[in-house]
Amino acid sequence: MRRLAPQDLRIEAEEARLLILRMLRGGRSGHVGGALSCVDILTTLYFDEMDIDPLEPTRPDRDRFILSAGHKALAQYAVLARRGYFPEPWVDTYSDLGSRLAGHPDMHKLPGVEANTGALGHGLSIACGIALGLRLQERRSRVFVVLGDGELPEGSNWEGAAMAAHHQLGNVVAFVDVNDLQISGRTADVMNMEPIADKFAAFGWKVRTIDGNDVEQIQGVLAEVDRDSSSPTAVVAKTTKAKGVSILEDTAASHYWKPAAAEMAEAEAEIRARIQLLSLQAVAR
Amino acid sequence: MTAAPELVDPRKTFGQAVTEFAADDSRVVVLSADSGVSSGFGTFRDRFPGRYMEFGIQEHGATGVASGLATTGLVPVFAAIAAFVTNRNYEAFRNDVAYMGQNVKIVGRNGGMTYSDLGPTHYSLEDYAIIRMLPGVVVLSPQDPGEIRAAARAMLTHEGPVYMRIGGPAIPNLFAEGPFVIGKGRVHRSGDYATVVSTGPATANTITAVDALRAEGLTVDLLCMPTVEPVDSELIIESATRTGHVITVEEHYDRGGLSAAVSECLGPLRVRHDAIGLPHQHVITGTYEGLLATYGLDAQGLTRQLRDIVAAGQPASTR
Repeated sequence: MRRLAPQDLRIEAEEARLLILRMLRGGRSGHVGGALSCVDILTTLYFDEMDIDPLEPTRPDRDRFILSAGHKALAQYAVLARRGYFPEPWVDTYSDLGSRLAGHPDMHKLPGVEANTGALGHGLSIACGIALGLRLQERRSRVFVVLGDGELPEGSNWEGAAMAAHHQLGNVVAFVDVNDLQISGRTADVMNMEPIADKFAAFGWKVRTIDGNDVEQIQGVLAEVDRDSSSPTAVVAKTTKAKGVSILEDTAASHYWKPAAAEMAEAEAEIRARIQLLSLQAVAR
Repeated sequence: MTAAPELVDPRKTFGQAVTEFAADDSRVVVLSADSGVSSGFGTFRDRFPGRYMEFGIQEHGATGVASGLATTGLVPVFAAIAAFVTNRNYEAFRNDVAYMGQNVKIVGRNGGMTYSDLGPTHYSLEDYAIIRMLPGVVVLSPQDPGEIRAAARAMLTHEGPVYMRIGGPAIPNLFAEGPFVIGKGRVHRSGDYATVVSTGPATANTITAVDALRAEGLTVDLLCMPTVEPVDSELIIESATRTGHVITVEEHYDRGGLSAAVSECLGPLRVRHDAIGLPHQHVITGTYEGLLATYGLDAQGLTRQLRDIVAAGQPASTR
């Protein structure tokens, strides 16, 4: 567990955004909108919160991270690479034939990946199993999950919600990345699952609602989590789809994107400028 | 007149075998979807309450939980009605268990059409077919109480995902209890005219039928297969090469399951293969005995079917 200043986390998240875009170079395409909306959460978890060791990625008492919304793999790859789980140049093989980095994560190919997600609605149940296994073996580790708001209509999520509450899995923390968009449009129009916070609360979860693109709020909510509590924690994280890339922000089209060279240059320049500004601010402090 | 054979409850036999194994292996945990006690785990629950986990009626989520538990080094056993732990949870079985390669044991009880009065929602006549399509998953279908015990131990010892189907009604002892090797069948009768390959509880009636034919002079090889996937292709090919005619018998649709596994391994041999099982339709309801008789899977029906098929497979001069 490391404790980074919020400004350092912001810079780290922007560096991860650059890596996300780098994986789309050379005419590649990917689920960039959701990756960009959740990357501040993943950065905070991997750099500031989780008890992990990239050099010993299968240490039995590590904290676990499950990306239920597996299509946001670009974010996980970027953060795992930044965190030192694998050599950064591996990201340049994204989606290549036989690559360790495919459109959805594979635990047997990439260190740091804990589950083969991709089909939606699976992560919470797997997380419950891990949490139960850890508790049975008297380990203090926690299990963090990122769900997408678009996957909430999958009924299996609510099987997971019921199980985590019934079995009093206080060591489970689930972020719902509420970016309000899915491939067909606004989640509220496609299948309205609001009020999301009330639903988790009704199942018996402790619920917090935050700005999921604000690392300080993410740090704050994580500081409140009590692993010895009898309730799992749901964090309803309001985010912006494709956060940080102005030409894509808050568009359904960002869900799966194949950038043109000019678009890529513009997006990268925007992020680099922000990193420069954040770095100057950090120094000024 | 011989005494009626002693009949044994397969679910209790299974639950007891797992419970005994678990006494020496604390990694074994049992998952219940309101299904544990009726799967034979009443004693397990009482002896190891911390390792008995209840999830209520939901098989998809519980299968995901089993995968998560296995990632921490435990050996989860999830048993419920066969139809529900192979269909309702298929995506979790496919992705969370098979694709993730987790050491999860899923056991379908009351398999086949043993829930005869409850109807097609409660039948599993496609489970071998759909589960054997998941790479790396072993499909076990033990044939008598001794094999259920041995298969349970083999399943728990095996590192990797396993699906095991057992029935519901009491079944007779057929074999002397011995070591169980996943993927190995047994030669139970030897003969000349055909190779009969059976699995699961259908084997009991198949033995009776094969012995009735023997009395008529129609001798066959009877290969009893407690593993559907990977099937014992070596044994099958050895026998089929000699007899030139293979007949599969199973309480499953007559396609996709054991018949398909056997057919796939026979490929290059170009021997005749007939499949006895349930016709590919939504089968009727009633008593179990009534259903077996209706579809020709009771001892009498199998005798008739095997006689017709074996006779038809012979050159006219020998009929």
